[in-house]
Amino acid sequence: MKTRFALLWLAVGLPLAWGIAKSLQNALKLFQ
Amino acid sequence: MASAFFDRQSTVAPPGYNRFLVPPAALAVHLSIGQAYAFSTFNLPLTKVLGLTHAAADDWKLAEVGWTFSIAIVLLGLSAAVFGRWVERVGPRKSMFTAAICFGGGFIIAALGIHYHQILLLYLGYGVLGGCGLGIGYIAPVSTLIKWFPDRPGMATGMAIMGFGGGALIAAPLSLLLMEHFKTATSNGVLETFVTMGVMYFMFMMIGVIAVRVPATDWRPTGWVAPETPRQMVTRANVAVDVAWRTPQFWLLWGVLCMNVTAGIGVLGQASPMIQEIFAGRVTPAAAAGFVGLLSLFNMAGRFFWAATSDYLGRRTTYMIFFLLGIVLYALVPSLGHLGEIGGFIVAVAVIISMYGGGFATIPAYLRDLFGPMHVGAIHGRLLTAWAVAGVLGPQLVNYIRQFQIDHGVPRTQAYSITLYIMCALLLVGFLCNLALRPVDERHHFKPPGTGKSA
Repeated sequence: MKTRFALLWLAVGLPLAWGIAKSLQNALKLFQ
Repeated sequence: MASAFFDRQSTVAPPGYNRFLVPPAALAVHLSIGQAYAFSTFNLPLTKVLGLTHAAADDWKLAEVGWTFSIAIVLLGLSAAVFGRWVERVGPRKSMFTAAICFGGGFIIAALGIHYHQILLLYLGYGVLGGCGLGIGYIAPVSTLIKWFPDRPGMATGMAIMGFGGGALIAAPLSLLLMEHFKTATSNGVLETFVTMGVMYFMFMMIGVIAVRVPATDWRPTGWVAPETPRQMVTRANVAVDVAWRTPQFWLLWGVLCMNVTAGIGVLGQASPMIQEIFAGRVTPAAAAGFVGLLSLFNMAGRFFWAATSDYLGRRTTYMIFFLLGIVLYALVPSLGHLGEIGGFIVAVAVIISMYGGGFATIPAYLRDLFGPMHVGAIHGRLLTAWAVAGVLGPQLVNYIRQFQIDHGVPRTQAYSITLYIMCALLLVGFLCNLALRPVDERHHFKPPGTGKSA
């Protein structure tokens, strides 16, 4: 159950974290 | 065998099942369909399918391509309304699978449209089929989460609907990356990107299809008991979908959602030109793109923050904050522009957009409070027609009034002032709708056949 829990959250968390990082990178242009 | 896998009965969770395994299933679907918000990244490439580096004479026009997104959003609202009852009946697994087929298949048919350069296939694929995938995929996991989290329905639905906002954050850079990767001397990469995304999103949504579970009928969170005296606006009864949409409460909530979305979507769609025109000469196109990125983050974060907060504040108070704070901020934005207060402008618009996202994410929990959990997915589906209306109304209102003012000699730096004051009036209408909301009359409560008692 714990492995399943970790795998599921990683599967959705990693792409979301990548998307947030890309958007933050983009947002920083506003302050440059 | 395969059909048994998709049955509602096969998705009933065994005793002791960890309910936090369900939100990632919902997120897998919402992160995928949230791609719709980033469709604009395809607009220009789709106008250069034949000319590759420039738009050839026979290439599609931007206005023609723009219809694809509008059709998809209208179909989202319509399919959620039409298929809501079916989604409740067959359960989340079969409906999420259908959404995956429609959304992934929509990309493939749209790719065929690009290959044969037939815009009707693009409309049919991404707009109609993909739009149905959006509508079914949007409502399917929400009612499941409400049933798993009776103690924190706002937080649960906020988590899923946050995924819809987050989907655009993933899809925008991903589309650009894929188009760059597939670009050759004979293709601008958009066709191959559509095929890849269709397959990828289908597979990602399948994670949700496989992982989703519904709680057993008598399941309750450990240690949680339904409060003896629930809050004033929270019912312990249920209202059937066919009855719910005939009550004043449904149409008042429809007004609440429609006004909140119209005001927000109008600003969101025009954020880049707006900041560049209001602060002419001070904001570059690159910085304006950064502003749009910042708003996307607030749109996503607002969905979780406001919906989770509504569990403590109550749904009605949360929407009161959206409308009252929204009126103050919309009224302040033109003055901040005149004063050249760019920092204040950014903060005000970011908070407005967080409340726009929050409005979407809090509405399913509000529906559950008023109508009970029995048909909440189907009622939510019908309420989403407000989104379809607002999706057309908001951007048109902003574009039309801005153009009208410019045509009548108003400087571009001040061309948004009237629009923003009109948004205040819309929010006031939403505030009044929310203020008028009362619990649903007992005569509308669902009574199981033969009992004569409310369920």
